[in-house]
Amino acid sequence: MNNIEYIGERLWPGYIGQTGVTLTFVAALLAATAYFFATQRRDHEDGAGWQKIARLAFFGHSAGVFVTIGTLIYVMVNQYYEYQYVQNHVSDELPMKYIFSALWEGQEGSFLLWMFWHAVLGLLLIRWAKQWESPVMSVMALLQTVIASMILGVYVGFGDDPTKLGSNPMLLLRQVMDAPIFAKADYVKLIQGNGLNEALQNYWMTIHPPTLFLGFASAAVPFAFAVAGLWTRRHQDWLKAALPWALFSGALLGTGILMGAAWAYEALNFGGYWAWDPVENTSLVPWLLVVAGIHTNLVARSTGHSVRSTYAFYLSGLVLVIYSTFLTRSGILGQTSVHSFTEMGLETQLMIFVSIFALLALVPLIWRWREIPGPKTEEPTSSREFWMFLGALVLLFASIIITGSTSLPVFNKIAKAFNPVFEERSILDPKAHFNRYMLWIGLFMGMFSGFAQYLRYQGLNWAAQKSKFWTRFGVTMLIAGAFTGLCALWLKLPAWQYWVLLFSGWYTIVANVDYLVFFLKSQLKLASSTLSHLGFGLMIVGIMASGVNKKIISESDPFLIEGLIQGGDEKLARENILLFRNIPQTMAGYDLTWTKDTLVHFTRTYTVNFKRRDAQGKVVEDFDLHPNILYDRSFEKIASSNPNTRHYLTKDIFTHISSLPVVEQNFKLKREQEEALKYKRSIVRQGQVMTLTDTLDVSNVDSTFTRQFQFRLLSTERKVQHHDYKPEAGDLAFSAKIAVQRSDIDSTYVVNPGVVLRGQVIYFFPEQIDDLSAKVRLGQEALEKVFVFDNQLNYNDMEIAQNETKAFQGYQITFKSIEQNPQHPEYQALDKDVAVGANLEIKAPDGKIYQAQPVFLLRDQKPLTLKVEVPELGLHVRFPIVNPEKKNILLQVAQAQPTGADLPIELATRSIPSNYIVLQAIEFPGINIFWLGGFLMMFGLGFAIWYRMTTGRGGALKNA
Amino acid sequence: MKRIYIIAGLMLAAAIALLMNSAKDMGTYSTFAQAESKNRTVKIAGQLVKDKPMVYDPIKDPNYFSFYIKDTDGKEQKVVLLKSKPQDFELSEQIVVTGQMNNGEFLAKDMLLKCPSKYKDEEIAIRNKQG
Repeated sequence: MNNIEYIGERLWPGYIGQTGVTLTFVAALLAATAYFFATQRRDHEDGAGWQKIARLAFFGHSAGVFVTIGTLIYVMVNQYYEYQYVQNHVSDELPMKYIFSALWEGQEGSFLLWMFWHAVLGLLLIRWAKQWESPVMSVMALLQTVIASMILGVYVGFGDDPTKLGSNPMLLLRQVMDAPIFAKADYVKLIQGNGLNEALQNYWMTIHPPTLFLGFASAAVPFAFAVAGLWTRRHQDWLKAALPWALFSGALLGTGILMGAAWAYEALNFGGYWAWDPVENTSLVPWLLVVAGIHTNLVARSTGHSVRSTYAFYLSGLVLVIYSTFLTRSGILGQTSVHSFTEMGLETQLMIFVSIFALLALVPLIWRWREIPGPKTEEPTSSREFWMFLGALVLLFASIIITGSTSLPVFNKIAKAFNPVFEERSILDPKAHFNRYMLWIGLFMGMFSGFAQYLRYQGLNWAAQKSKFWTRFGVTMLIAGAFTGLCALWLKLPAWQYWVLLFSGWYTIVANVDYLVFFLKSQLKLASSTLSHLGFGLMIVGIMASGVNKKIISESDPFLIEGLIQGGDEKLARENILLFRNIPQTMAGYDLTWTKDTLVHFTRTYTVNFKRRDAQGKVVEDFDLHPNILYDRSFEKIASSNPNTRHYLTKDIFTHISSLPVVEQNFKLKREQEEALKYKRSIVRQGQVMTLTDTLDVSNVDSTFTRQFQFRLLSTERKVQHHDYKPEAGDLAFSAKIAVQRSDIDSTYVVNPGVVLRGQVIYFFPEQIDDLSAKVRLGQEALEKVFVFDNQLNYNDMEIAQNETKAFQGYQITFKSIEQNPQHPEYQALDKDVAVGANLEIKAPDGKIYQAQPVFLLRDQKPLTLKVEVPELGLHVRFPIVNPEKKNILLQVAQAQPTGADLPIELATRSIPSNYIVLQAIEFPGINIFWLGGFLMMFGLGFAIWYRMTTGRGGALKNA
Repeated sequence: MKRIYIIAGLMLAAAIALLMNSAKDMGTYSTFAQAESKNRTVKIAGQLVKDKPMVYDPIKDPNYFSFYIKDTDGKEQKVVLLKSKPQDFELSEQIVVTGQMNNGEFLAKDMLLKCPSKYKDEEIAIRNKQG
């Protein structure tokens, strides 16, 4: 295969990209080394020289990252499928707006995204970190070196089984896989891209990963400062420098997590915003640790306490980010996560990654532990730092529990390594498990973030403030209690523990609002922490209202299915309902009706109408929701089902399609089913009743049983009203109303199947009667019965002048005028057309008057005629010639009544019902409180950065 | 710092105690035989039995889906899930159901599917090349 000269491969971007990847790695390694020596030799003359080299190396590294990403985007935009990454993530159909989503869909792309942010942050650090640059950047560059190794794609080692280091995104497809197609020199022309997973084609995939990765990347900066502090023994100074970066990290990581929650809620059909999925948990834990670190950092800046714990929190923050990467990318989570991540043979490398940074955190911390300063005195219980520290401990506690439970697959693996017969364990009900513990954590966090605001660092003036504090404490508790009580009118919570948590949420809100209004009146600049804690309280209330209290609107009536499952757990929610087209279903105060669906490209959008009625049955609210489903490219599978949500101030109504008839999920199957249906034909005259006998085999019994279908033609119409039919100009459409009955069922069903001739093609619009498992359609001859085609007509010429009246078989035809802008259903005006219509008035023998306007058309020098038909009279009129010299026109007139009132009607029995959807509808009360809380929390963090940057305080010793 | 260390110690002890206590939230993957004898909620991993009937008739009940899976002992058991039938169910490589036995049927509260990922084939191709 190596001898083949491939045609059409564009290799130059590959060379550039490979150079970029190599530069990324080598320069990062060089920068890390040079920064290391710059730090070690900082008090010597050569230190500055090392720093210069290091900077250049880091610039080179950043250039490498940008060039690699740029090249990758270039080959993706241009669809160079000979590159494996392009082939895997791009396809011809992929809209360009999703090109970035495709870039970070894969492991290599997301590593690049992560490195991109590290590079950007690194450049900012070089600009701003001043004397901290060398030690901090040593860590950043080391981090970049390790991540860059993940995309190197080189083989290390000897012999038959070398180790692959990383996975390179710039490789050609033929370099990573063997396939017969590569025997062809021109294979490039023949291959197609796989494209981006349809479920990821939405704007969340464009904004969520960059935000979350910026959050992950920013967690590296406090880590780097912590290492730098330990390394250079400046255990106090680093605290000030690290704080704004930690706040930034908290804000971005938090925003990223909230965006993930919003994505899950808005665009996925999980039915909520948080599911305690491992992927969610492992991004939450670093955030908890960074936030804990921010608290102890503030304490340390103000009192000198908690320096050690600040080190520990910031250090563990990044370690947990990397651990999260390991968990989600190594495939170790297996079936415990709904997020499927591909294994790429990077497990060992990821494990080494975690180990390096765990050691980098642990070793210096232990080394320097004893020399880290701290006051000998104890914090008084009445001081703010005491409770802040406790709050940080609660966050740590939460992190330990979440990490412990999420790491179960890791423990399993370790246990298995020592004991091969070890049985793997897993959490039976993750949501219940986590909620049970997090409830108490939330409770403590809520209470602490309330009253700690009133306390002063070092318990300043406690003796004087004591009584005031207790009064405020009592009053705020009472108000919070009152709010909680009011909520009882609105919410239904399953257990008293949730009421306690709700109370603590309200307490935080009340206390922080009180603090904001009465203590910070004139100093809004200091309000950042108050806002964040207020946001936290709102989030608790929001979670209680929308999560714990969510209402399934589509809950089926339990009596309906009683008996189906005897003794089944009655509490098992039956969350789906069945909707037939145009048949309203009442539930939870709403009438739901599926009114229509439209298929555009691969997306099928369903319109579901919601009507809410008051006690008198009057409609008080009427709106449509549009959940959709996305077919895969073959139309043989549903790629994703996307919810649609109506937002109110006080609640959301969320709905998604949970199932469809098999034939609607797979169009190939639908066609096969339709073709396999055995239609029985009968010729029916209007009013006549026809009977058909259907014979069924009875399973297990050697006999058959028969049933009769009766149908009657009620009326016919020259138009088609069918949900799949969209009228177009020039269509010949016809439908018939038919009443159908089956011998074993009492009801009569009226259906309206249609048939349409468009150009040369006949379209059938059969009608399904689900209750009878029958399908009815009109035979194609129906068209010939109803419409008379030109070749069957004998036209008579008629020269006629304006305002002249001529007789034709008892009809009086008057040529009234010439119409310069003729209207005709089959006519669409083009630029150079010459078109005129003849306005005719036709008087029938019974005195009735009809209008008709045949059209004469000259297009491209060719005369054409557009005929009209007066269906009531069976009269056909053409307008082929204009005679300007004779001052008249030529008409051609013919009359023919359709041949028959008897129509071919075809009926198939045992058809599969397909006229329904299975829908889930959920009401989320008060969900906006949750989002508002989340927003406030992040805003508070952002506000704190701004405050510290503008005032340059960096959390200076406030009371000292 | 004494008092705070005591509190921290207590909390750590509580965390460990809670995690130990949470052992009852954890379970090994059981078999249907064990589920029958224990009569409590268990988690069972198994494979779909493709030649046994799979019933999802939303017209009758949109929240009733039944199928057969084979557990690690090779025992085939009817499973009832009171939800709609998930997409790609037939493609699943492995099914994990959580629930308990109920009158000879396994009543599943929750179900997780492990589906082959999109790139599985290519992954094999890479491996083959390496070997």
